[in-house]
Amino acid sequence: MAFYKDKYDVIVIGGALAGMSCAMKLASEGKDVLILERHNLPGGIATSFSRSGIEMEATLHEMMSIGPEDDPLFIREYLDEMGVKINWLRVPEAYRLVSPEDGIDITLHPGRRADGTWVCADEIDAVYPGTKGEINKLLELCLSVYNSVLYMNEHHVSKIKTLLEHEALAKTAGYTGAEVMDSYVSLPSVVKKILSAYWIYVGQPISTLPFTIFAFLLTDYFKGGSFVARGFSHEMGVAMAERCRELGVQYEYCQHVEKILVKDGRVYGVRTARGDEIHCDYIASAPYPNVAYGEMIEPQSEVPEIARKYANAMPMSVSTFSVVLLLEGEPEDLNIHDYSVFSSETAFDTDKFWAQGTTLGPWDYLTTICLNYANPEGVPKGMTSLSITNLPLPECFFGVTADTYQETRRRVAKQMIDQVSARLGVNLLDYVIDIEYETPVSVAHFPGNYRGGIYGYQHSMDNSVVGRLEDFERDQYIKGLVGCASHQLVGDGMACNINNGKIAAKAILTWMQEAK
Amino acid sequence: MKIKGFLKDVTGAMRVTNARRNLIAEASGDNLYKDPIRELCAELHPEATHVRVARVEDASPTARTYTFEPVGGDVLPPFQAGQYASFDLQIGETITTRPFSISSAPYEARTGEVPFFQITVRTARPSEGFVAPWFYENVKAGDEFTCHLPHGFFFYEPLRDAKRVVALAGGSGITPFASMAAEIAHGTLDCDLTILYGSVSPDDVILGGKLAQIAASCDRVKMVNVFSGKDVELPEGAEAGFITADLIAKYTEGVPSDGGTSYFVCGPLAMYDFVSGELDKLGVPFRRVRMEVFGAPRDVYKAEGYPADFEPRTLSLTVRRGLDEQVIPAASTEPLAVAMERAGIKNRTRCRSGACGYCRCYVAEGEFFVPAVGDGRRFSDKQYGYVHACSTYPLTDMVIEVPII
Repeated sequence: MAFYKDKYDVIVIGGALAGMSCAMKLASEGKDVLILERHNLPGGIATSFSRSGIEMEATLHEMMSIGPEDDPLFIREYLDEMGVKINWLRVPEAYRLVSPEDGIDITLHPGRRADGTWVCADEIDAVYPGTKGEINKLLELCLSVYNSVLYMNEHHVSKIKTLLEHEALAKTAGYTGAEVMDSYVSLPSVVKKILSAYWIYVGQPISTLPFTIFAFLLTDYFKGGSFVARGFSHEMGVAMAERCRELGVQYEYCQHVEKILVKDGRVYGVRTARGDEIHCDYIASAPYPNVAYGEMIEPQSEVPEIARKYANAMPMSVSTFSVVLLLEGEPEDLNIHDYSVFSSETAFDTDKFWAQGTTLGPWDYLTTICLNYANPEGVPKGMTSLSITNLPLPECFFGVTADTYQETRRRVAKQMIDQVSARLGVNLLDYVIDIEYETPVSVAHFPGNYRGGIYGYQHSMDNSVVGRLEDFERDQYIKGLVGCASHQLVGDGMACNINNGKIAAKAILTWMQEAK
Repeated sequence: MKIKGFLKDVTGAMRVTNARRNLIAEASGDNLYKDPIRELCAELHPEATHVRVARVEDASPTARTYTFEPVGGDVLPPFQAGQYASFDLQIGETITTRPFSISSAPYEARTGEVPFFQITVRTARPSEGFVAPWFYENVKAGDEFTCHLPHGFFFYEPLRDAKRVVALAGGSGITPFASMAAEIAHGTLDCDLTILYGSVSPDDVILGGKLAQIAASCDRVKMVNVFSGKDVELPEGAEAGFITADLIAKYTEGVPSDGGTSYFVCGPLAMYDFVSGELDKLGVPFRRVRMEVFGAPRDVYKAEGYPADFEPRTLSLTVRRGLDEQVIPAASTEPLAVAMERAGIKNRTRCRSGACGYCRCYVAEGEFFVPAVGDGRRFSDKQYGYVHACSTYPLTDMVIEVPII
């Protein structure tokens, strides 16, 4: 018997969170969907690994847009609606930021009170008195933008209506996070630094990060907190894969799609590395436009010049470098007391940190995550599961060769471990049970992302989400083909990718409707 | 920007949209696709490497060393001393794979006129299974293979392991240490290695000559043979008996065993339990012991947790690949991967010990047993019914879904 049907309504290339989200949505509307995933695991970078029977998170993972069960945020709601069951655990704090040169050592928690004030505003005010009024004012503006973004995620809104009903979004759309913080409120620079700590979760300095994204990020995390899955990030992948199965989606692992087949400007199928040619009407593609247009579209003469311009124009966002450590001893024994710590070796300056990401370090801004504090049952007794992460640009690895790769990643990792050890006053290298590295090459190897990128294209002022939203239809150059990963509209992160998948599905459903 | 002006500004959305349109309009219309990270990745982790047997040499009266050179323009990837290569094999109707630790040094695969790597295969022991004897008897110079490397986590990791390494080897478990020793002697692996190598008699020693030569020329490598056979005439420098705590202590004198030394263990399954007990006696912390995975158990019914009184039987295994469905026999004494291989169904295995997860597949129906030793399944995979086919034994008829390879 054949392995595949003669034809599917939709082929989804890449079974990561976006691809599965897209497939679930389409299947729940009765469409016939095939997912082709090159790896043997679902979920893409949202994954874990096991060494000697002990499971570890592959990198820094915390999920936004979930929120508590009794006050859910939009991705929890979407997953519920799709019937995906995930055992979420709430991360205790928002973050601790340590920046000795700035005199900062503060731990913030999520939460908005019934009177509309924010827990973190009080926490900052306790150290920097007289600031909570302005912080609350800023966060209220962020909340307005956040609510508008969520509304527009579900509804088409005319320009006039945007101006009338989504004033905060409209008026801040042309400004960066730094510009709005500098002009809308009056806050000491140290407090602005504290409120900018999450910049690394989009990998874009505050000076160029659109306020729209800054506001979304800040509101989402401070409103709903962040979550991890009890079954590690891999649980998200398997739970969504399971739901795809229940909805009748055919999900095939180890299938590397090499070609997207196009005729007369319209997709009609794919060809895999194995040699299977499979036909369909629509394709949702995790491969970046650079790869899809650059080598996958067959024949290449079907790629219009504007598509090449698009791929060449889009500024590539960050990759990742994580050191994942399993350590002997409980976290307290190692002077580790928090789940999530952002630490700044020198004065907090996101432009400087960003520029360091074009090199192999030293990197002054590190994120240290101790899984024990969010998922205690996930770590064996007497051990500590710790990751140290920076999100540099892929180009920092361009000079690395196959023969210098091992030495390079160890040198960079040691630098990072030494920095964290110095902050803790404990030499972590004396406690290592196991160590693993996640580099741009690991990302290119397992999920297979273009240049090992994890966050798609930069959220810069000339590639703003507002512009992406406005031009979504205009940016589709091959009929029947839509992007379905972090290079798409909403951008980076696990929750965003679930949303990207949903958006891709909606686009396909609309096109199907129009074709009738 | 003035605060007042900022709040009145409603043109921002149009501004950023236009900026984005300009960015696209001004970009090059040529195909500039290039991915240096993928190129690096392809060199480090080739999908497959095609190799030819350049020569075959005896490594003992019962073991041979096979030297492989790349063919068809392939390039051998870098590997770390202690890692293995997985070979795609066809033996009669059976298609299978086998992991073999690389016994040559990493530098030899990346330098010299003709880069190469070696594996050393022992035969003539019932415990070595059916592939090793086949390999030993049949593979000759000129034969070509498809293999996959590098794999495995049994290597010296400077950010984890103590600089002083004691290798506890048994039987063909010596091969990864031969690789490490040669790399140390070459000056490209920075650690000190003492190998305690347990064999029954001098005839069983594999790669003895090569290791003796390295030890003689490099003061960072020390080699001690330990013979357990009765009436063995001990060669100079050899020890009698087993690799006990006392023996280990003798060769690590002056180095604290509670953290100053890393112990690497590679040998037959039975050796692991014994050696673990001996290392416990020395107070060696968990983080200082590394054990190589070493195949699925031959007698699964002896494994802890296996249902008592379960009579061996032949069961029915339904294998789904995409829309295709095939029903094949599966022996309860063999892993699912072997049942598929006997039926000629391709199945991507690498470590064949349950650890690496390359053969991950979905159990739609049926009961099964997975030995706890070497179980590398993720928490959620266990909950959702995914198993590693190389370490999963059927207890009832089963239905599984595997990738189309």
